[in-house]
Amino acid sequence: MQEKRKGRPLYALLIEHREIPLLAVLVLLLILVSIRVPGYLGANYMNILKGGSINMVMAAGMLCVLLVGSIDISVTAILAFAGAVCGKLMGMGVIQSTWMMFALGILIGAVIGAVNGVLMSYGKVIAIIVTLGTSYIVRALIPMEWLLGMNKVTPTELTQGFKDSMVTNTFLGLPFLVWTAIIVTVLVGLFLKYARTGRNLYAVGSNAEAAQVRGVPIDRIKVLAHVICGATAGLAGVMWLGYYWAIEKGSANGNEMFTIAACVLGGVSVTGGYGKITGVVIGALMIATIDSAIPQLQLGNSMITEFIKGILLLFAILLNVILQRIADKQALARRGI
Amino acid sequence: MKKNKLVSLLTRWEVFLLVLLALMCLVFNLQDAARVASGEARRDVFNVANVVRSMRPYMLYSFMTLGMMLILAMGDMDISVGAAATFSVVVLGVTYNALTTAGLLGLPALILSLAACLLVGALCGALNGFLVTRFKELFPMIITLATQLFFRGFSYLLIGGQTLTFDDETFDLLKELNSLVDMFGIKVPVMLPIFLAVALVFYFWLHLTGNGRKIFAIGTNAIATQYSGVRVDLIKFWCFVIAGLMSAVTGVFFVGATSSSIKADIMDGYHMYAIAAAILGGFSTDGGKGSVIGVILSLIIFAVMKIGLGTLFGFADSAVNLSVGIILILSVLLPNMVNKLRDDLRVRKRRAEVSKAA
Repeated sequence: MQEKRKGRPLYALLIEHREIPLLAVLVLLLILVSIRVPGYLGANYMNILKGGSINMVMAAGMLCVLLVGSIDISVTAILAFAGAVCGKLMGMGVIQSTWMMFALGILIGAVIGAVNGVLMSYGKVIAIIVTLGTSYIVRALIPMEWLLGMNKVTPTELTQGFKDSMVTNTFLGLPFLVWTAIIVTVLVGLFLKYARTGRNLYAVGSNAEAAQVRGVPIDRIKVLAHVICGATAGLAGVMWLGYYWAIEKGSANGNEMFTIAACVLGGVSVTGGYGKITGVVIGALMIATIDSAIPQLQLGNSMITEFIKGILLLFAILLNVILQRIADKQALARRGI
Repeated sequence: MKKNKLVSLLTRWEVFLLVLLALMCLVFNLQDAARVASGEARRDVFNVANVVRSMRPYMLYSFMTLGMMLILAMGDMDISVGAAATFSVVVLGVTYNALTTAGLLGLPALILSLAACLLVGALCGALNGFLVTRFKELFPMIITLATQLFFRGFSYLLIGGQTLTFDDETFDLLKELNSLVDMFGIKVPVMLPIFLAVALVFYFWLHLTGNGRKIFAIGTNAIATQYSGVRVDLIKFWCFVIAGLMSAVTGVFFVGATSSSIKADIMDGYHMYAIAAAILGGFSTDGGKGSVIGVILSLIIFAVMKIGLGTLFGFADSAVNLSVGIILILSVLLPNMVNKLRDDLRVRKRRAEVSKAA
């Protein structure tokens, strides 16, 4: 008993920083692949970063929504819609500047996110139903004749400046695609850690009633979380357009599950109130690494990637629960109960 | 007392769906008649035969919806059903191929592989059920998100990116499941009577037996149900197993519809259709409410909308999706608003009474 009180036991550290085991697995995976395929990291880490950055931006927004105990499964629909609108406007010659594309993408995403948030918090409709509904609506709006009247944006509609903006142009050796992800995650991280409103997201998620009594406008905070999530999804749409040079109404369909998976892997609680941006970044990197690394291992069937992704996610979340249970039991035992 | 009963009958969700359906039929009929009168179309399109025939694509995921219904009634969520259906279908194809190369031909091979398919579906559900009841800290949605990737991974592991195709006569029997038969003088998809029969069984079980009512009790208040002596975990487990089984059934019908070709991603994203149909049918992710009749009505509404908006008004498929989205949100938002209004009125009335008394 006496020794235990001295230093903080290892499992307590693991519980407090749920991202540490994940980081260990990530490093282990990278080492394994590097042994199998010499020179893997040098050649491929940029691909990992590029592949992961779009998902990472969305996951940063998803973190905010999950923190308040809500969920948003319309992110990839917002991605497709914002990307399509921006691309179309560029094709028509309305927008020429790359910065305007970003601003418009964020704005469109934020508006859809606000609709989600208002319906969810003021309309008291369950988040998953609202966002399922908006994802149907938003995807269906893309080919509407009065709006855009098209099914896809093709590379010819984009200006060369925009096409170069994401991957070709680099700063300090990193493409702007990756820089955007870094900026977004840092901003969201700072907001969640140091801004009063950011802390309120945690308060609403962990105990909404207490937060309300304390004077936190919980409905407005929930709307804000959805607006942030929508904005990041809209931004991700423009990033997608800049990366692939094309977008269509079915783009990224189903990928919202990987966005949520990045958060869950990173130790974010879906009941709200717990989660850190570092975990989310590691989770997103993890998924991107698996995507890029497993095919390199050549374990036979190239589709084994999907299998390993599934197993890793399942075990990561179960491990989280088991660690938590052990910690609870130890805490009770320490107090002699 | 009698008036209250009437009110509660009229405010039932199924009645709302019926009214919605009737309104849609009215509008579409008028448009149809106008089209015929103006000579734009030679004869009417909006009739029972056409609606019944256009039920076919919705019948594909109707079985999955029945399974999803159970899960939603308990207040849980299962997003792995699409992946489970794909996985079981992949097993169906792989088993059939293995059996035919082993020399077992014809009907026995098909029956054995169908059995394997259903078994795998049930096992997928059992895994979900096991994890959901053993790891209560985790939301069923997250668990099934993980198992979804897991099942999908299994399908890819088995057949990779290739497409399994079958062109022998026995396997083509599955195509018959997607055909139309003459019944009462109109062409009816084969799946429709099968679905109605299964739905009838579900109706009796869910609404008329104690066992079925317990599922709704779990959705309303799981802890109270547990303390009143119901084995909540056991029921939950079996509901997930049934949901898995129903998704395997959906998979079998789907193979028939895709001319007997099987790929490792054929039913990705199908869980969303099932959830949408069940929620429009009156179920809620909160649990504890909904009915089989509502689900049947919502499937009919989908078919009517498809033919009405698509053929009559000439909207593209996306317009149908758009209206599905809007109806989905409104179907939850409107009752909420009505309830809030009713509560407000009650409070105001009570206040007036109190101030009068004072």
